[in-house]
Amino acid sequence: MKKILLLLSLTLLMAWQPAFAAEVQLMTKEELKSRLDTGDVTVLDVRSGRDWGSSEFKIQGAFRASGGDIAKWSKDYQKDQKLVLYCA
Amino acid sequence: MKQHLFLSLTLGTGWLLCPESLVMVGNGAGQMGWIALPLLVAIALLYSICNKLIQTPRFPDTTGGGFLLLKTMTGAIPAAGISLAAFIPLLILAATALLVTSGYTFNEVFLYWFPNFGFSFLLLALLCTLQLLPEKLIVRAQIFFVCLAAGGLLILSVYGITTSDIPTTAVLKESGSIWSSSSAILLLLFAGLTCNSNTQHSFFSVPVAGLLIFSLWIVASLTYVSPERLTSSTIPYMTAARKIMGEPGRQLMGIIVISGTCAAITGLMLLCKQMLCNIAGVNSPNSKFSRNLRWSFSPLIAMITGILLATGLAGDELLEVLLRGALILWLAHYTLLCFAAILHSYRKAKTVPWTGSVCTCVLMVALFSLITDNPHRMELLVFLFSVLIISGLFSTIWFYINTIHPNKHLTNGENR
Repeated sequence: MKKILLLLSLTLLMAWQPAFAAEVQLMTKEELKSRLDTGDVTVLDVRSGRDWGSSEFKIQGAFRASGGDIAKWSKDYQKDQKLVLYCA
Repeated sequence: MKQHLFLSLTLGTGWLLCPESLVMVGNGAGQMGWIALPLLVAIALLYSICNKLIQTPRFPDTTGGGFLLLKTMTGAIPAAGISLAAFIPLLILAATALLVTSGYTFNEVFLYWFPNFGFSFLLLALLCTLQLLPEKLIVRAQIFFVCLAAGGLLILSVYGITTSDIPTTAVLKESGSIWSSSSAILLLLFAGLTCNSNTQHSFFSVPVAGLLIFSLWIVASLTYVSPERLTSSTIPYMTAARKIMGEPGRQLMGIIVISGTCAAITGLMLLCKQMLCNIAGVNSPNSKFSRNLRWSFSPLIAMITGILLATGLAGDELLEVLLRGALILWLAHYTLLCFAAILHSYRKAKTVPWTGSVCTCVLMVALFSLITDNPHRMELLVFLFSVLIISGLFSTIWFYINTIHPNKHLTNGENR
């Protein structure tokens, strides 16, 4: 898990959208690690294609989501839900 | 003769040892279980027969895409178009895909702080620079890459088989289905396969080398990893290496992946340059055409690959469809070469080589299956037709210009 967390890179997806820009925050890997055990975050792996396929490290329990389809999958989550997107 | 055989072996096994082939083998072993082994024997036999068939007319350019053989069947312009369509997209797309995989492997296995894309670009620059060196040095580098990748894979396989508590016979009882899509996909393992007509036994050297390496690897993989895991993994080679040897196994697999990538790209680059020389009718390395090709071809390919990497094609599912399309084009070209050899044999001796004809029919069925079984067949067909049209236009323009300005590029004594 440590190795996985070392690779975490939290990104601001779709930051250009004003609706998100004000609220999206970065999370350190230590903070994410502590929150993973409590289960109050949902991790979304937004890597796609070979970026995802070639990587050996995938966070257990993370859901895959396409960065381009944010409008589609964002409806599946409540507004107050903490979503962690990682792309590297 | 030994030198020719070794050269044929190192050029032909370049693609065999790349991470893409390891994924095909791993997923195939997961889906088919022990049946993958006899299937691999059948595929090696099929390619040996087809290579022998292609080699029989004794055309001098079977190492460089078989343009002269194809020309006897289709004429110069279609033959050039088909040869270009079979090799150039494969080189560009394989380079893009393999460099991304190598970048991730280097980052995750060796240096966490080194950016994966940084490594991909660095490797691209190194491989491009290598192509600017004299051919003798490129071939030596290719031998080094192939030996490193093949040696690493053999070490992992033998270590895995000999140190396992599970008897191999028990592993081989796990069976799957031969009627899975993987059975046709395994034919793509030998992309870029060539046989040197100067060598009597080169027709079976690459298929047998592939059979030996992959048989051991399949047994080792099935010994340590469940078939379900092998089928579903996007990197079955790394999963197996980790299970077999732990951290050293990961590192060894990292070396195999990077050297396999270098071998595949270098091998395809050499093949493409040889093919272009054959189309131009040039066979002297000192000719103006060869010298121009040496200084312009690899930088051009590196630039296109770099653009594809930078524009994010690696993160797009489309890359997998395009790469599969490029591999299908190679297989179609190889099948056409077999056809041309059959036709040539019929014209010359009024006989049809039956075993070769049966193998050619099998290749045709596999081609059909690879296209129709693909979930993205519409995109695939659009890609196939687009490449064929573009390469057809390119070859028409090339031959048209050469008709207006004959022998413009032919100096320093080359023959046409």
